[in-house]
Amino acid sequence: MNAIEVTQLRKTYGAGATAYAALRGVDLQVREGEVVMLSGPSGSGKTTLLSVLGCVLTASSGRVTLMGRDVSGARERDLPQLRLSLIGFVFQAHNLIASRSVRDNVSWLLELRGFARAAARDEAQRLLGLVGMADKQERLPVDLSGGQRQRVAIARALAGNPPLLLADEPTASLDAQNGMAVTELLRKLARDERRTVVIVTHDARIFHLADRIVHIEDGLIARGDS
Amino acid sequence: MMFHGRAKLVGTLVGVVFAVVLANQQAGTCLGLVYKNIMLPRNAGADIWITAPATDSIQGGRFVTEATLMAARTADGIAWAEPLIYSVAAISKPGGGNEPLTLIGTRAPRFAGGPWNLVVGDREALLSPDSVIVEDSDREKFGGVNLGSTREILGHRVTVVGFTWGLESFAPSYAFAEYDLARELTHTPRDSMSFVLAGVSAGRNAETVAAALRARLPEADVFTAAQLEDRIRHQLLFESSIGISFGTSTAFGIIVGFVIVALSMFSAVIDNVREFGTLKAVGATTFDLVMLLFVQAVTYALLGSLIGLWLVGGMANGIRGPKLALDLPPALTLITVIGMVVMCVAASTLALLRLRKVEPAMVFR
Repeated sequence: MNAIEVTQLRKTYGAGATAYAALRGVDLQVREGEVVMLSGPSGSGKTTLLSVLGCVLTASSGRVTLMGRDVSGARERDLPQLRLSLIGFVFQAHNLIASRSVRDNVSWLLELRGFARAAARDEAQRLLGLVGMADKQERLPVDLSGGQRQRVAIARALAGNPPLLLADEPTASLDAQNGMAVTELLRKLARDERRTVVIVTHDARIFHLADRIVHIEDGLIARGDS
Repeated sequence: MMFHGRAKLVGTLVGVVFAVVLANQQAGTCLGLVYKNIMLPRNAGADIWITAPATDSIQGGRFVTEATLMAARTADGIAWAEPLIYSVAAISKPGGGNEPLTLIGTRAPRFAGGPWNLVVGDREALLSPDSVIVEDSDREKFGGVNLGSTREILGHRVTVVGFTWGLESFAPSYAFAEYDLARELTHTPRDSMSFVLAGVSAGRNAETVAAALRARLPEADVFTAAQLEDRIRHQLLFESSIGISFGTSTAFGIIVGFVIVALSMFSAVIDNVREFGTLKAVGATTFDLVMLLFVQAVTYALLGSLIGLWLVGGMANGIRGPKLALDLPPALTLITVIGMVVMCVAASTLALLRLRKVEPAMVFR
């Protein structure tokens, strides 16, 4: 089964003379448990594609199906629930809440997903163990290295067991060793827990960890489409 | 706080504490002044006050007649009725000069109208000829009076036989004399008195008895003690400049606190806009974030109120004295807490408006 199906996806910013077509008819299928990396030059449309797949941006036209659910026609007010139930995000700059502990960063999202406070704390502890951060759960993000922060961000992305993980340049702010470790972790999660992982990256050092590399140029898939 | 750095947390709390302290200090002082005006009806031991028409404060110079006293004594539901004299007077000092005081003439043996809060002597001492009880905190002002000291009040030699504490009215402090002596000192006509104080019979309702008495005495005003307190309080707060003056200061404190809290919460949202965007991206709704702000605002209000009320309490204890005392009733505490919650929630509106505009897609830019 395909976890992601994208058909003739178009996204245009602005209108009239200033209109800019970021996606110009993208077709893409990603199988369950597959690790796909989206690469391409800046402005090629890969982040826009990730945003549409992440339901944080609505497409101008085309169809997007996530885990069998057509999300392209979803109403604005339904998008948070879709994101909550289907998608885990890993951001370039980890985007952890600076004033909260590592554990709170994960458990807060679990509470948002309906966990009781105690259960959320227990589950957060388990997820932090999964990414090797169990011993640092009381620390603040500022006390962690870049690689450790990104591991916490992955634990947060796993909160609530979403079937899709979307990562935007997860290695961009990491050194080679940490970048590799984080990507290997994402790949391991895809294998062990059958999650579908889509990573936007420029980082050629991690390409070998992908099941497939999709290259985007000028809002179209240049090669690697299934 | 979820999205507040330590400096902003302190800044916001300072705003709430400032509002609490200033509002309570002003309101407490105002209520303290009000108490000075209502302490006589509150402590007189009378259920009903009969006054000259259109009375809205306790002051001398206006009289009710002996006929009114007699009518009150024979009215249904009245157990007793006694006259009271209230007049501004002056007491001489040994080295020359005078100090003003408020002389109250109270009839033995009931002594309705005082004295109360006696710290030296007892009220029966007023039965001795030419004796008075004065305010302890004014002893030095009256030239170092002690028990047994003699002074002149309005040219008449009197002996001090006791002291009260804290009976500093809005006018000069209270001094007490037996009714006939007070009448003589103040040259009050024999058939006149400042007020008639009455007690209702056991089992009778003061308001009902007062209403019946009001119909029977069209030439006077009749109040229960509580009604008279309300009337004086209303006059002071809403018909004099005191209410406007203290009300303006209180409002100023709340406005400044509101602005500090509003700006602090708004800037906290601006500082953390990416974190809010992240929360939206991972599935939080605007409502979730509004609740976050709401809880944050209420927490600030409660914490700031706690600190502010503690400070005001300390301040009140520090300055408490017979001349000036902050009156901080439990109702004021409750109003403060509720008011601060409303203020902080209202102050978070600006932050909320900014929050609504946060787009989750910003986290990928």
